[in-house]
Amino acid sequence: MSADTIIKVKNLQKYFGKNGNIQTKALDDVNIEINRGDVVVVVGPSGSGKSTFLRCLNLLEMPTGGTITFEGTDITDPKNNINKQRMKMGMVFQQFNLFPHMTILKNLTIGPTKLLKKSKAEAEKYAMELLERVGLADRAGSYPNQLSGGQKQRIAIVRALCMQPDVMLFDEPTSALDPEMVGEVLDVMKALARQNMTMICVTHEMGFAREVGNRVIFMENGKILEENTPAEFFENPKSPRLKEFLNKIL
Amino acid sequence: MFQTLQDKLYLNFIKDDRYMYLVNGFITTIKIALLAILVGLIFGFIIAIIRSAYDMNKDQQRNTISAKLLSLANAICQLYLTILRGTPVVLQLLIIYFVIFADINVNKTFAAICAFGFNSAAYVAEIVRGGIMSIDRGQLEAGRSIGFSYAKTMLYIILPQAVKNVLPALGNEFIVLIKETSVAGYIAIEDLTKGGDIIRSRTYDAFFPLIAAGLIYLAVVLILSKGITIFERRLRASER
Repeated sequence: MSADTIIKVKNLQKYFGKNGNIQTKALDDVNIEINRGDVVVVVGPSGSGKSTFLRCLNLLEMPTGGTITFEGTDITDPKNNINKQRMKMGMVFQQFNLFPHMTILKNLTIGPTKLLKKSKAEAEKYAMELLERVGLADRAGSYPNQLSGGQKQRIAIVRALCMQPDVMLFDEPTSALDPEMVGEVLDVMKALARQNMTMICVTHEMGFAREVGNRVIFMENGKILEENTPAEFFENPKSPRLKEFLNKIL
Repeated sequence: MFQTLQDKLYLNFIKDDRYMYLVNGFITTIKIALLAILVGLIFGFIIAIIRSAYDMNKDQQRNTISAKLLSLANAICQLYLTILRGTPVVLQLLIIYFVIFADINVNKTFAAICAFGFNSAAYVAEIVRGGIMSIDRGQLEAGRSIGFSYAKTMLYIILPQAVKNVLPALGNEFIVLIKETSVAGYIAIEDLTKGGDIIRSRTYDAFFPLIAAGLIYLAVVLILSKGITIFERRLRASER
């Protein structure tokens, strides 16, 4: 494990289904090391386990087997308190999941004030700075259902960033958006990548993968089938399954 | 005709200060109802939180002590709900007063508050649990992914939304509860219904005292539902 490895996944397995019943293998022996500053883009057909993989990284799904080490701590250890690591792992969901009963500013500051013990003023100042950067400072007092999908997702990204995470997890962040709103969200993500944020992103946006990712991973049937730099990944796919996948979507 | 009406009103309410039966009965009814609502809310929320915690976490398949404790607590709550919702409230009132508190000298009103409160808790629990389960799972995941514990996610994120959604149903439960306290007379509590009935037994006139008691219940219920509507509107206003 090199010094700048932030996440190390070893023999990760996830089965769905109750004990004794027929189980679905969502993840089948996944191994990967992610370094600080990496922008890893995970692609694959639906049902390939890419979302499950991402959700295992912060234990939203409890792995059936294998280990996940985050910043030197084995987070799959039952004695580990995952809440500590989750503060350092921002997550952005397909369905935004903003808190509808709070203003945007409250959405952004509840984590920092309650968990990082920041003062209200300090948390709001930082939140406003970030809002400014995504061009939504004027919506600080609005409620989530007054916003468009693209705006909601930009707020969701800012909410995760307000916790000053070391890594950002994106679970199909643009899949629930109108086509014309995809760009504004991708722009925020690109800006984030330029600031050397470590990102793991499940997406169908091949343009994003090509332009921003430094590693692209192809998953199928719960396995990592191929990993490469974006250039190689798209120009010289090795496995026939990836060739077929790329042919279908490009 | 007018004279007889006046006579009847005098006979039923003014003579011997008979209206005091209604006033005192009203005070007793309100006291029992308010405290029972409080008991019902407290225990109802506790049961709802235990039950929904069990429902939401059972797919995590962890064999820890806390998971086993939760499963035990859930079983106890389910038994409680089955019994309290499966038997009549009058019977529960009689059992609490004559069986459970048989050897302890307790105030009748206290026994009634316990009976109506614990009964109401069972209904409040299922209303609130429904509210909690109706909140999109993404809210729980978003809260947890920020780093909140399950309890804090509940407190800051799920419960505020759930309560807002179940407010009409809770209001309805309070209305039912207020009217249900009218059976307190079974353990000789002089509540509003009993007060009206006492006047009837003194004056041999059923119409005025019973109708008067009915109008008082109606007024309380109308005020309560109006209050809930205003409260609800204020909660919703913040989101528009």
